[in-house]
Amino acid sequence: MRQAVILAAGEGQRLRPFTVNRPKVMLFIAGKPILQYVIEALAQNGVRDIVLVVGYRKEQVLDYFGSGETFGVDLTYVTQERQLGTAHALAQAKGAIKDDFLVLPGDNLIAAETIDRFAATAPEAVLVKKVENPMRYGVVAVQRGTVKEIIEKPAEAASNLVSTGIYSFSRAIFDFVEPQLDLPDVVNRMISQSQKIKALETEGAWLDAIYPWDILSLNAAILQQTQAKSGGTVETGVTLKGQVSIGKGTVIRANSYIAGPVVIGDGCEIGPSVCIFPATSIGNNVVIAPFTEVKNSVIGNDVNIGSGSIIHDSVIDNSCNISGQFTACSGQEEIAVNQEHHSVNFGAMLGEGCTLGNSVTAQPGVIVGNYSQIRSLKLISGRLPDRSLVM
Amino acid sequence: MCGIVGYIGERPAGPILLKCLARLEYRGYDSCGIAVAGGGLRVHKDAVRVEALKGQLPRRIEGKIGIGHTRWATHGAPSQVNAHPHCDCTGKIAVVHNGVVHNFQQLRQQLIKEGHTFVSETDTEVIPHLVEKYFAGDLEKAVAKALTEMEGSYAIAVLRDGEPELIAARKDSPLVIGIGDGENFIASDVPALLDYTSRVIYLEDDDIAVITGEGVQVKRGGNAVDRKPQRVTWSVEDAQKGGYEHFMLKEIHEQPKVIRDTIRAYLAAEETMADWDVLGKGDAGEMLMLACGTSYHAALVGKYVLEQLFKVPVRTELASEFGYSGQTSSQTQAIVITQSGETADALKAIKRLKSEGCPVTVLTNVVGSSATRLADHVVYTQAGPEISVAATKSYTAQLMALYWLALPLARIDLRRRDSLVAELRQLPGKVQRVLDDEEKIARHAAQMAEYDHVFFIGRGLNYPVALEGALKLKEISYIHAEGYAAGELKHGPFALLSSQAPVVAIVAPDNTYDAMLTSIKEVKARGSPVLALVAEGDEVVEEVADSVIAVPKVEPLFSPVVNTVVLQLLAYYAAKQRGCPIDFPRNLAKSVTVE
Repeated sequence: MRQAVILAAGEGQRLRPFTVNRPKVMLFIAGKPILQYVIEALAQNGVRDIVLVVGYRKEQVLDYFGSGETFGVDLTYVTQERQLGTAHALAQAKGAIKDDFLVLPGDNLIAAETIDRFAATAPEAVLVKKVENPMRYGVVAVQRGTVKEIIEKPAEAASNLVSTGIYSFSRAIFDFVEPQLDLPDVVNRMISQSQKIKALETEGAWLDAIYPWDILSLNAAILQQTQAKSGGTVETGVTLKGQVSIGKGTVIRANSYIAGPVVIGDGCEIGPSVCIFPATSIGNNVVIAPFTEVKNSVIGNDVNIGSGSIIHDSVIDNSCNISGQFTACSGQEEIAVNQEHHSVNFGAMLGEGCTLGNSVTAQPGVIVGNYSQIRSLKLISGRLPDRSLVM
Repeated sequence: MCGIVGYIGERPAGPILLKCLARLEYRGYDSCGIAVAGGGLRVHKDAVRVEALKGQLPRRIEGKIGIGHTRWATHGAPSQVNAHPHCDCTGKIAVVHNGVVHNFQQLRQQLIKEGHTFVSETDTEVIPHLVEKYFAGDLEKAVAKALTEMEGSYAIAVLRDGEPELIAARKDSPLVIGIGDGENFIASDVPALLDYTSRVIYLEDDDIAVITGEGVQVKRGGNAVDRKPQRVTWSVEDAQKGGYEHFMLKEIHEQPKVIRDTIRAYLAAEETMADWDVLGKGDAGEMLMLACGTSYHAALVGKYVLEQLFKVPVRTELASEFGYSGQTSSQTQAIVITQSGETADALKAIKRLKSEGCPVTVLTNVVGSSATRLADHVVYTQAGPEISVAATKSYTAQLMALYWLALPLARIDLRRRDSLVAELRQLPGKVQRVLDDEEKIARHAAQMAEYDHVFFIGRGLNYPVALEGALKLKEISYIHAEGYAAGELKHGPFALLSSQAPVVAIVAPDNTYDAMLTSIKEVKARGSPVLALVAEGDEVVEEVADSVIAVPKVEPLFSPVVNTVVLQLLAYYAAKQRGCPIDFPRNLAKSVTVE
């Protein structure tokens, strides 16, 4: 079967603080990095020879995926030293490409169905999808199944058909690639030189995280497919409702109540008397102390949450150490990211390695930078940079 | 110290043997060779590494039975003639061997008298000639007879052109048989086989195995014995580089996972605790820790940890020195640490301890290794296979094993214990932060690569860390490096300090802090540039040292873990800067199975 190139070098700057130490493709959604969904979709469609273009914080990708053996694929890594553009990223893979191939962005979450027909489509072709907010993407003008033009982030969209960034190319593409370009520019160049590019539409999942709070909606969407599974110990008096997946070596202590969909990783200690509500995913080696409630949230690896905490609609990144009585509840807030204003509704976004003293209360919409330290009894709000100290 | 492999089945043996051999190069790689049978026996060998041998071979090698060897010279210099496999006079029998034949001089003279011709200087060459002497139509019987004449240690694989089987045997050297589908394998170690099978039989001392494509029959003293295949949980993935330039860097990066796996495994397996129980029950008079190399440094850290947590005296000694002195009593609780479980000095020490009636707990990374069969209690470290000769993750796994196993029985108050357990769970994230800071450490390493002498100093728990930092640097970058207890510098080494000899100071925010500050000032006064490892937020050391690397704050008891990871990266990038062959440093082998 043919090859695929996955572009996994990008930073995802608007997703900070979560992308300070990892590329966007390594954001965890429902217990797996986004890139894993892409790789699994390819494997399920029989594409197992995969070239990964890595760059920003590439070690995170290497450490997780290794040679690909665990995921049933053969991975070859090429490095894009500077993140110039998607066409430049693709050009790095040229030496590893044998024949016709697929190109996929590693940072859009897809399912096997998304590409089932497309994986067999001959070059040159682009996979398109109808979306509600086309102005955020590259809008594709299609005439009788052929692409006329791709218009990036238009002020006004002529249609709601956008490019998924998934292409089927032959090696001929490299004649059109120039370093400073992105792939849509390359496609437009090809069209202007009378190359025919087919457009194929998909109904399958295609999800994108642009801002930190998008992690929550992606997580909720993907958790719908969770299958109940138990690899750990569940003490007596625990209620598990719906689809709850429990990892190896995890202990759920007495009187806890967990309503799925919920995914809990390996080696965790939950409870006694902890309530976890949909749609929540919890990483590996996490401790949640008694009388804590977690709802619609994403908790990373090695996190410690003290007793009597209430955590709703929040993202808590790896290695946060939270003492008891932490409160993070959601509410409508106006916040700014890169001068853009957004009306959002979430609890708290905590970056990696934050330490919170007792009884910290988070105002809705707070975004706390990595390695911040918050003393006891503090009220936190707004946007705190990395290594903030709240005394 | 060598690696041996064998193949019998329906596929061409040559390429399979080479692939298996490449995975055993960590055991030694000064020469290698293969012998393949099928319408004549063909031997290809040379004093080169496996990759180079591959280039010398004819495109097609006929034959579906073969054996191979990667050598680490003990008797006879690395050369083509001394490389294995070795043959008999008829050129029909080929043998690969790992170990030492102590009485080979005697046997050789005897065989020469009987008309045999020897071509190499090796001890091994007596084996094919002995087999030739005793061969009367049954290869297994001939090997069994030959072995009765030999004194010493061996893991061997033998084939004879025209015979439909491979014979394997072991005594005091490691050997496993891989079970395939219509094909079977022999190897010194499991990673060699992971491309082909995950089912293995671990042979015991004095076992002789008759291996065909269809099956394996294990015998002892002529009687069949039942050896059940075990499924190995390591995946072939574990033995590959996964995008990294060197195994060492990959293995350094695996450490957060190793820590997490340790916590999970030990939480889940209560019987592990029971093993350790012997240490907490009654009052152990004293504890004795024995190890070599990097494991010895882990044992030195263990001394500080166990003394703090158990409040009994702990002695740490080099396993290689223990044989020359070392008093023990039956009250002595012994802990022997060996990554491979095959380190000859460690095995010898265990045997002696056992004979003196001491209960022995072994900490090892290799399931079924020789040490596990000798010990009373075994604690497995959760590092997975380590390929790089320079130990990194196995050391961290050893420390984790010591911490985690000591904690449940520690004679400390409950609050302190709870806080230690909570801190231990936070450790993977702290180590990850060191890794995330890799680029900064690489810049310091590039500067260090300019020097020819580097000193490492520390006190208390971080004194062994200084030793380990120096060992890592010298073994892979070839920079002369020495680790010292900071208080010892003034008793001699001061004479070597100058602007051309930088000092790496490991400063922990514990009871050694003030004394370390004084040491740094003393060193500065002698003109040496000082690079200090300090806890994040420290502003005092920055004033006196030339440069600092800030490490995440951790509980002082666990500071050796994060500090060592910094020093591993420092050594790695210094070696890379100097263009050294990082995974296979000159003159070194992964596990040392000779004394």
